[in-house]
Amino acid sequence: MKLVLLATTALLLAGTSLAQSNTSLTIYSGRAKTFVDPVVQQFEKQTGIKVNVRYGTDAQLVAAIREEGARSPADVYWGNSVGALGELAAEGKFSKLGTALTRNVSDDYLPDNRTWLPTTVRFRTLAYNTAKIKPADLPDSVLDLPKMTSLKGRIGWTVSYPSFQDFLAAMISKYGEATTKTWIEGMKALQPKDYKTSNVGMLEAMRAGEIDVALTNHYYIQRVNRLSYPIETYFFKNGDIGNLGNATGAGILKTSKNQRAAVRLLQALVSKDAQTFFLSVNFEYPVIGNILQPTTMLPYADIIKRSPRIDPTVLPKNIEKAQKLLRDAGLL
Amino acid sequence: MISRRPPLLLLLPAVLTVLGVLLPLAYLVFRAFGAEASELREIVFRTRNLELAGNTLGLTAAVLACTTAVALPLAFLATRTDFRPRRFLMLLGVLPLAIPGYVGAYALIAASGFGGTIQALTGINWPGPSGFWGALGVLTLFTFPYLFLNLHAALRTQDPSLEEAARLLGRTPWQTFLSVTVPHLRPAWLSGALLTGLHVLGDFSVVSLMRYPTFSAAIYQQYTAAYDRVYSAWLALLLLVLTAAVLLLEARLMRGVSLSRVSPGGARQPTTVRLGWGVIPAWALVLLLTGAALVVPLGTVVYWLTRDFDPAALVDLWEAAQTALGAAAVAAITTTLLAFPLAYIGSRYGQQHRWARLTERAAYLGYATPPLAFALALVFFSLRVTPSLYQTFPLLIAAYTLHFVAEAVGPIRTSLAHATPRLEEAARVLGLSPLQALTRVTLPLIRPGLWVSAAFVFLSVLKELPLTLLLSPTGFDTLARNVWTYTEEAQYAAAAPYALALALSGALLTLLILRRETGKASPQGQQSTPHRLPEASPQQGTPL
Repeated sequence: MKLVLLATTALLLAGTSLAQSNTSLTIYSGRAKTFVDPVVQQFEKQTGIKVNVRYGTDAQLVAAIREEGARSPADVYWGNSVGALGELAAEGKFSKLGTALTRNVSDDYLPDNRTWLPTTVRFRTLAYNTAKIKPADLPDSVLDLPKMTSLKGRIGWTVSYPSFQDFLAAMISKYGEATTKTWIEGMKALQPKDYKTSNVGMLEAMRAGEIDVALTNHYYIQRVNRLSYPIETYFFKNGDIGNLGNATGAGILKTSKNQRAAVRLLQALVSKDAQTFFLSVNFEYPVIGNILQPTTMLPYADIIKRSPRIDPTVLPKNIEKAQKLLRDAGLL
Repeated sequence: MISRRPPLLLLLPAVLTVLGVLLPLAYLVFRAFGAEASELREIVFRTRNLELAGNTLGLTAAVLACTTAVALPLAFLATRTDFRPRRFLMLLGVLPLAIPGYVGAYALIAASGFGGTIQALTGINWPGPSGFWGALGVLTLFTFPYLFLNLHAALRTQDPSLEEAARLLGRTPWQTFLSVTVPHLRPAWLSGALLTGLHVLGDFSVVSLMRYPTFSAAIYQQYTAAYDRVYSAWLALLLLVLTAAVLLLEARLMRGVSLSRVSPGGARQPTTVRLGWGVIPAWALVLLLTGAALVVPLGTVVYWLTRDFDPAALVDLWEAAQTALGAAAVAAITTTLLAFPLAYIGSRYGQQHRWARLTERAAYLGYATPPLAFALALVFFSLRVTPSLYQTFPLLIAAYTLHFVAEAVGPIRTSLAHATPRLEEAARVLGLSPLQALTRVTLPLIRPGLWVSAAFVFLSVLKELPLTLLLSPTGFDTLARNVWTYTEEAQYAAAAPYALALALSGALLTLLILRRETGKASPQGQQSTPHRLPEASPQQGTPL
């Protein structure tokens, strides 16, 4: 009995010290482990700084950072979308970044007040099953997608996925809440299938014949192209909201006690090695120049023209509005 | 003579258990009402809440109906017929419990559809399960053991003389079954149904994977997809209210049920029904169940494992297994330690004192609280009140302990019933202090019960998902967590090794417990301890 008690105390203490002994960096990552882990391991090897990563969705981690306030264990937030990053930046959670860090980074998505650093760029698109759909039959604008009654029950979307909510927020920025509401309701009437946050699951379902078109990010289609799925990319007309470009990025929390180590981590994220890795593993566009792209991808200069220009600073407020519209429609 | 008043030291754990569960929940209420009045009105009167309540209750009722339809015939076959091999029926009735719902859901999703196992092996594009029917199917397949174990024990120990009397009075076998056997199963059914119901109310993983919105699924979705947590807190509160209503209903249905024998009666086996041609539908049921609950899940996991095996993943698997086994071991010890005083008070003082019975029931408080609601409450509470515990291993262990202590009370209670207090009294008379009497006489006697308790909690923690997802320290990857993350992303091959490790360790533990439990069911022990899994035996079925 005494032995058991002792053993328990020892184990509990060991657990506590394991959880607390690190004076290293903690990343809250909305990005998936597949993209984060190799870069982090490389960083640990090069710098000797130990890195802990807490994975979650953007919204979950943003909510956690808010709840935690000054007690947040996070040093760096690495998010999937301009919206989540802008949300934290708007609340004054991020330290301002030095020009040494931002000098070589494309300024398409770099916020003017340099509160966070873009790490890659991705675009919204429509994926379609090449065996079932002719691209000529698809609408010029995503706003006309609700009119495609022939696609009833055959459309996939990911309502809980941050990029999707960013897209709705951008629609609110450009066309207002009423138009967005109508669009959501029109889409709902077509009985789209909701794959929550799983774009991979959605494209698997497209291959399985459950759906024929899907609103997704460009790189998911690039990925399944390599597995020779019968799935291709459809871009809407230039400047259409359905081609919205979005950045992933990282910011350093003001509450972090490891500011310098955090700057080194951000430097590593926009290094040539890391940028090449993001492109090769996930087909995301680099934010620095001189990186060779696969020919299946549109060159960055072309694709950025297809995306509308949206003021990123209003996105956070509009994401809350978009989430409310989705809740009102009974979708979230 | 033992003093009538229990040592205060023993009461402390009960108080801690109650506070540990109620304080965070109280803070959840506080948080939920923290929003502005207009926002509150808008949140509480959302029509979505009604829809979620309807879905949640509908699914719970449907799962109860379906699990009964599976468990009752199976339990009957295993206890009252000449179906052979009986041992296999027992395994079939228990083993699905080793497979967590999300692993089952993962397996059935990955088995069906284009490119799934079934199509790869047979060429048939079997439609994937989803929505209400998908959730119902998976929950039925992997929760029916709760009912099976209870019904099995009840059918085996029912006094055969009642049925014989009915037959002598001219009833047909079928009439006898309906008018005598079935009504006597009510208490066993109710306690099994309560466990099943609590499980369905608290499950978020199966319904999320099947895309069927219930309260738990909605809490999880809000938690992961909204920047604001007030609505999550409200959904958790509404789920708590719904759970309380179900508990009250169960307590009401249980009231006044007294079907125990007045006299011991003869320790005879009930008569055996000869199946004859009935053996064909019996085998059909058994084979169907074996296929759906055991062969398809395991086959799918193995298929995906061999299809895309990456040896590099073994390193991660090993780390996740270490983390999971370590946490489960620590939680098993702390939970058993907490359960012992609760069971002891209930067993030694419960006969005379109402408060002692209440103390023991405190254990069920944490078990009945839907885990996602509890985890959310603990997140809020620990951040505000005990920030140094936030995202730490001790807090996670505390959460496991409070949630699973009810599972550990049962077996300890059963062994205490066998270790008569007279022995303790004798030890006291011979000059031992109360503590010495406890450690030198009682504890050695109930050691088997302690082991079963620990094993049970170990298995439960290994499978546990919601508490782990919300409360674990940064970088804390367990088997369960990995299965969940990869399945949510439809990376079936990546999820396979973790799912297999979970299912195999679960099956191994279940078999060990089963052996231990059946091994000690000697003829004279049968009446007082029908062999049933401890978690399926809340005292008189009312957990609160």
